[in-house]
Amino acid sequence: MQKYTVSEFVNFVNAALSAVVFPEGVAIEGEITEYRVSQGKWIWFLLKDQESVVSCFSMTWKLRQPLEDGLQVRVIGQPKIHPRSGKFSINVDRVEPVGEGALKRAYELLKKLLEKEGLFDLARKRSLPRFPERIGLIASRESAAYSDFLRILKNRWGGIEINSLHVQVQGAEAINSIVAAFNYFNVHPELAEVLVLTRGGGSLEDLHAFNAEEVARAVFGSKIPVVVGVGHERDESLADFVADVRASTPSNAAELLVPDRQELINQLRSFSARLVTIMTGAVVIQQGNVSQAVRQIESALSFSVSSFRHRLRDLADAFARLAVDVVRTKDEQQSLWHRLHTTGDQWLGHLTNSLSSKERMLSSFDPQSVLRRGYAIVRRRGQVLNNATTIAVGESVAVQLHHGSLTAKVTKKSS
Amino acid sequence: MTSKKTPTKPVDFGTSFQELEKIISWFEGDEIDLDQGLKKFERGLELAQVCRTRLKEVENRVNELKVKFGELDN
Repeated sequence: MQKYTVSEFVNFVNAALSAVVFPEGVAIEGEITEYRVSQGKWIWFLLKDQESVVSCFSMTWKLRQPLEDGLQVRVIGQPKIHPRSGKFSINVDRVEPVGEGALKRAYELLKKLLEKEGLFDLARKRSLPRFPERIGLIASRESAAYSDFLRILKNRWGGIEINSLHVQVQGAEAINSIVAAFNYFNVHPELAEVLVLTRGGGSLEDLHAFNAEEVARAVFGSKIPVVVGVGHERDESLADFVADVRASTPSNAAELLVPDRQELINQLRSFSARLVTIMTGAVVIQQGNVSQAVRQIESALSFSVSSFRHRLRDLADAFARLAVDVVRTKDEQQSLWHRLHTTGDQWLGHLTNSLSSKERMLSSFDPQSVLRRGYAIVRRRGQVLNNATTIAVGESVAVQLHHGSLTAKVTKKSS
Repeated sequence: MTSKKTPTKPVDFGTSFQELEKIISWFEGDEIDLDQGLKKFERGLELAQVCRTRLKEVENRVNELKVKFGELDN
């Protein structure tokens, strides 16, 4: 019998288990019980059936999907004895729900988790290009979905470049290849303005990849908007919920992506017709405006003319009135003249009378008439002498008489 | 070259269609300036023609990308 130390034994058993007994790991089916997570890092649960229990261990970064007690699962991992605790458990790499019920439950759990995380938020949904020129197609080239999509696309629209990546949509490779296809297109954005992930309908198990968290996150993380069209109308998948646009079928994905050629032709026709109608209408309106303007100008002109005629008549009337006035004024002037003359004559006679009386009066003041009566004017050196005190005896004076004058000498004076 | 269309530059249907829609909505506005309208009218008809021509393309080009999983996985 072989002897071992404890460590040797544990190491030997673990080595034998991984290298010899289960070189590809082990898959065990059972029901989860006593599921717990410690420190947010370590996952512990028991896998049981009617008679037995096996302990399972994993880490949260490895098993990301939500699990709960009662879930029927297939656990894939490596059995191992933990050296420190001596506990025998399965080191779990992957957990797959088993059976329709469990799958459904697992689906519901994951859906709730992703929803809570905001992967389905309507606010982050992007709109698709209206007339895409380049489409990235992620599908299996052998599938009916692939040919349906291309057929409907061709029926509706032409001249598009479709860059297709063949992926597994079912089976072990499906998740990885779909995720890889998303990565590829996101690394080569020049290949597609929009991505389409599509496959035909199937059971929940068939659609497993489209319900996988990795695929949901790949759709969520894509920088290029994504249309997901899976299965027939009654099916739903998590990829659907995350997609920017959810199509009910592969054909529907094509319908949502491109408009119908015929509709567009009709629309273009109606655009052209509308353009012509509106333009013709605008011209008619403009013509109407012009005619109205012409009418307005005409009426304004005729108004001006008639008002000019009025003015002319007014002017003529004014002239007539003026003529009458002139005639009247002339008459008045004549009468004025007449009056002026008559009055002038009277006034002149009066004036002549008054003048001769004044003349008479004035002539009485004339020094000549005084001299005629015998008075004389005495001047000394040309100045009239009227005061005897201003002259001395012996001085000469000039004496003016009515007829002639003489020079005299003062011999005596008295005052 | 006699035609205005250059064969090297494919018609961008989306851009043309959008421009046409803008013209239509301009025409549906209240006041139409006849001079401007005439220019837009001509442009609109030209765009409609361009779009119709583009719609005559019936074939789509499908490129089956040959990418192996190793490359895909990165």
